[in-house]
Parts: sequence; structure tokens; C-alpha cells
Amino acid sequence: MLIREATEKDLSGIMALEQECFSNDAWSEDVMNSELIASHTFYVVVLEDEKIIGYAGLSKLPGSNQADIQTIATSPSVRGKGYGRALMNALTAKAKELSATEIFLEVRADNTTAQKLYEMFGFTRIGIRKNYYQPDNVDAFVMKTSINTKEPIVLGIESSCDETGIGIVRGNQLLANVISSSMEQHAIFGGVVPEVAARAHLEALTPVLDEALNKANIALDDIDAIAVTNGPGLAGALMVGISAAKALSVATGKPIYAVNHLVGHVAADILANGEVATPTIALLVSGGHTSLLLVRDLLNDVQLLGETIDDAAGEAFDKVARVLGLPYPGGPQIDRVAKDGNPSAIRFPRGLSLPKDMAEHRYDFSFSGLKTAVARHVEVLEDRGEEVNLPDVAASFREAVVDVLVSKAINACKENGVPRLLLGGGVTANARLREVAAKRCLEEGIELRIPPFDLCTDNGAMIAVLGAQLIMSGAAPSNLSFGANSTLQVTKVQS
Amino acid sequence: MYSIALDTSAGTTVALLQDDDVLAELNFDENMTHAERIGQALSEVLTKAAIRPAQIDRVVVGMGPGPFTGLRVGLAAAKFFALGANAELVGVCSLDAIALNFYEQNQTAGALLVVTDARRKEVFWAAYSGLSSGIPIRVVGPSVTKEENIKDFIDVDSHQRTEILVTAAALGKIAFSETSTELGANYDVSPIYLREPDAVPGKGKRVSS
Repeated sequence: MLIREATEKDLSGIMALEQECFSNDAWSEDVMNSELIASHTFYVVVLEDEKIIGYAGLSKLPGSNQADIQTIATSPSVRGKGYGRALMNALTAKAKELSATEIFLEVRADNTTAQKLYEMFGFTRIGIRKNYYQPDNVDAFVMKTSINTKEPIVLGIESSCDETGIGIVRGNQLLANVISSSMEQHAIFGGVVPEVAARAHLEALTPVLDEALNKANIALDDIDAIAVTNGPGLAGALMVGISAAKALSVATGKPIYAVNHLVGHVAADILANGEVATPTIALLVSGGHTSLLLVRDLLNDVQLLGETIDDAAGEAFDKVARVLGLPYPGGPQIDRVAKDGNPSAIRFPRGLSLPKDMAEHRYDFSFSGLKTAVARHVEVLEDRGEEVNLPDVAASFREAVVDVLVSKAINACKENGVPRLLLGGGVTANARLREVAAKRCLEEGIELRIPPFDLCTDNGAMIAVLGAQLIMSGAAPSNLSFGANSTLQVTKVQS
Repeated sequence: MYSIALDTSAGTTVALLQDDDVLAELNFDENMTHAERIGQALSEVLTKAAIRPAQIDRVVVGMGPGPFTGLRVGLAAAKFFALGANAELVGVCSLDAIALNFYEQNQTAGALLVVTDARRKEVFWAAYSGLSSGIPIRVVGPSVTKEENIKDFIDVDSHQRTEILVTAAALGKIAFSETSTELGANYDVSPIYLREPDAVPGKGKRVSS
């Protein structure tokens, strides 16, 4: 049995079945075709040996919380084999995904088999339409079921650095995750320029929101709450998202939750894996952060073990790329060049890894000395008129960064008795980081979790899902007077 | 027609109008708390005027010029308030609101020079010739220059000056007046920055001597 969404190409197969099942009051081909192509309808077909043996359709208008089952039919030859049930499953799942809270349908009063099927899905009779089915003069029963709405639909807004992200979740389920990056505008500067980023956020707000609502196929009215990043991050950039979120909250009357960006990165694991398994060590590495967290409970017990005392790891990649004459952003460029290099060719320093540093900065990071070491290495060779082996330098630099990141993260796991490591942040796109983390975690018996890249990089979905956790835990909304906090502590999940 | 008007080009100012009649307004002069204030301010004018967000037909926003970080707070809020309330969004030059406030108090006045602080030893400024159909007639600007250079563009001595501040109420009135003129309201809403971001492409520097 195969169930899939119907397309226009299924029209003839569906019509054959329509006429077989509903001879007297079958829909015309035109009606069926417009049902199949309409944007507010969802039709599925069930196939056996590539032949359509059943179909069903749902209608749900954006902005309405009600869905209607338009039709459902299975070939008379296959009845009683669970196909009707499979079709109903597909439709109710879709209704839920589209944020419907009620589903309605009409059924022939004389079709008790169908009524039993609907009752299995929680439908009850709420009314009767006299002589609804013509020309047979048969009444229709109107039936309705309610969808559990305990899982809040949350819109999340993220603008802490150079990505404008708006995500929508229902409880722990991802509905949309739209990201607009101003990265290209920063390229000529070799790093994120806060004013350029903030201007880009303002431009991106409306198109990103529109696209997110579109992808989730919901209207603003469907949303139960708004979550927004209020720190840490670039103050001017944060303020764009905060101001937009507050105004949206006042205009729609929906409560607002100001949430922590770094804890949001941890919450992204919920969207990838259904939960944040705790306790876990989280290593968050991006152009703005390099933080090692111990998470015993997402909402109530997040502890900062260490962070960078100078450059973030992503920043180190950008700066070294510039030294090597590679474009911005440096991470992917260095990854590319390093592929052909020998990671052991040059022993670059591992920041804060010597015994004397480890005493005070066991879980802290430092990358500025490494950057200087690479620059010096290149300058010395150039001064001597010798050629710089770019692949070797890139690979050796990358190895030094990855080695420190993974070593300290694994130490944190072992020393805190935590059997799992979660990675987050844009630098998780780095191939070598993923490779080394996977290898070392396997050796140490540590479970490694890396969400897909769109959930690792800065995004609104992680903010939305963190907001949803707060709501489901009964947290009260934030007061409208919160501001941007560029150095927000990781212990403050909600402001 | 109900309008909600807001401006963060200097302080934070929010007003709710029925046509050109101000039902409620809030004005905060300090210029470092826009993001903190804006939500509560919007909520308060609605409560004071006893109007629901869904009744708002139009959002009017001051597009600046003004210090960028604060200015964006008003524009970001205006965009999402308009979407959330299903209202139209129109923009007005913030300096025009200062001019209207001046002309309302000095009905016979002629040429006016509006000057605001642009930081970095420069000013934002615009020159006006008077009022027509309730709309200040801007003849030069908005521009950003050193204050002493304004004389290169206009005859400064023939213009009156004003210390009046921008108010959202004045923005709302201008937008309402504009609707009844041929030009109509301005739906092309974007910040008036007048300066490029202050950043220069970095040059690599040597680390070894």
C-alpha cells in the first residue's frame, strides 16, 4: 500500500473510482480537478500495484481553525482492509499540521460503515441535513471532531547577528523555518558589520514573516504566542527583532516570550530529535559564540562551563581566511582548501590547553593567539621568498581549532559524567569538526547529536520551540518592557 | 479612520488619532530606551483611546532621519504592527512633523529651518517654505551636513529656527492631510539614513616585525 499526495495527473484514476462509488451523485471531472489544484485543499490517493484504489480530500482555509473532509472513497473490491482508515489518518494528520482545531464532515445517514470509521477517529454527530443527498433523498449526518490544541503554535523571531530568522512550531513540531542572511553584504568587510546587519534585518522582516506563514500554511490569527531573542548578540540587531515582535504582540493580542539565544541553540535539538536528552554537554560554535554548556534541564538548569576569552571560533576562521587571501566567510573556504592539506604539517598552538592554562580556563577557549601564529608563519615564509603551502596551513589551522573544541567538549562530558554531546551554531557546518567529533565521541562512548544545518545556524525555529517549551511548562509571558541584552547570561532562559 | 502613529528618530513618541483628531499620545524624550518603551507605549495609547488593534486602519511611521539604531525600532514596530492589525503602513519624514508642530504654533510664519542632532559633529536638516493643506512644504532636504555648511544650500538668515521636538501626533496629522491631496499618503516606507554604514573594508596588517 502506498499513500501519497494526489496531483492533477491522478484525475482520471480518481474519476473512475468516483463514478464507481458515487454513481448517482458523483462529482464532475471539472469539480474534481478544481479540488485537486486548489491551494486550500489536500488530496491523497492510496495505490496498490500503481493503481488508485482510494482517495480522500481535506479543505482548510488559512485563518480558519476548521477543516472539512470533502470526500473519501475506496474501491468496493478492497473494503474492510484498512485503506479507509489509512486515508483518514493522512487527512487528520494534515489537518493537525495545518493548525485546524476542528474537523467537520457530512456522511450519508444510511452509510453506517463510514460512520463507524469516523467514530473511530473521534467524530460525533452534531446535526442533520434533511434530504442532503440527491436524487436519493437521503439525509446527511454532520459530524465533528476536535483536535487536541495543548501544543501551542509559536512564532519565533531571531535577529541577534547577521541572520533574520522566523520560525513557526506547534509544540515540538517544526512548521516553518525561514532564514535570510546578510552574509554577502559583510563579505567586503571580512566580518559582520553590526550596522549593515541591522539594516538588513529591517529589510528582511516582512518578506521572511510572509514566507514563514506561507510555508506553515497558517495565518497570524492561528498563532498562540510570539517568542523573540533578546540576547546575547549585537544590540542594534537584536532591537530590530524585539521591536517587531513587541508590536506584533500588541497588534495581535498574543503573549510574548523573550528568550535566550544560546539556550535556543540547545532547544534546536527538540526539533531535530524530539527532545533535548539530558544531561548533555552543548558546544555552541559560531561567528559570535564559542560556549560550552552543561545542560541538566533545558528550562531550569543550564550552566556555562566556559567560553572564548577573545575571538569566537567562526571569527578565527574568517580572520585566518583573510590572512591566507581567501574570501569571507572563512569557514567553508578553509574547509575547501584544507581538503588537500596535511593537518599535521604545522603544529599550531592549541589555545588554553597547557597545564597552567587548564587550571584556570579548563573549559574556556582562545583563538587570537592561533590566528597570530598562522599570520606569523605566512609572513616569515613570504619574507624569505618561500612559497606558502596553503592546503597544509589551512588544514593545520583547522586541526588546531577542531582539536581544542572537541577535546574540551569531551573533557566536559567525562568530567561531569555526561554521556552525550550536542553541537550547535554555524561552525557545525565544518566538515572536519563533525568528523573529529564523531570519531572521538565514538571512542569515548559519548552520544553525539548534531541537528541539521538550518537548525544549527541562527534561526527562528529554535527560538519558537524554546518559547513553546516555556508555554507548555506554564511560564507566564514576558513583560513588554524587556530590552536587548547583548551579554545575557545563559542562566537566564526567559527575560 | 483610526491611525496609530509612532516615531523613534529622537525619543519615543506614539499617538492614536481619529482622522486628524488626537485621541491619545505618549512622548518620551530620552533617546536610549526605544526598544524597551515601544511595546508598552503602543499598548497604552490603545487603552487610553479605548480602541482595539483590529480597529486601526493605518499605521504612520516617522522614517527619520535620526540616529540609526533608535530609528529602526519605530520602523520595525510599525511594519509588524501593521501586519498584525491588518492596517496599511505609511511613512512621513520625521522633520516634517517638527515643521508642522512649529507652524501650528506660528500660523503666519514663513521660511523655517529644522535642524536635529546627527551626532559626529553633523546635523540632519530640512528647509520649509510654509504650510499648504495642513502639510509643511519641504523645499530642501532632508540632508546631513556640518551645521556651518547649511548656508551653502539655503539663506540661513531668512529662516526661522525651532527647538520643537518631533511628535507622532503631528506625523499622523500630516499623513491624514496627505490622503486628501493629489499626492496621497506615502506607502514607500523605508528609513531615511542619509549615511552609509560606518565601516571600511579591512586591510590585513602584519603581526611580525
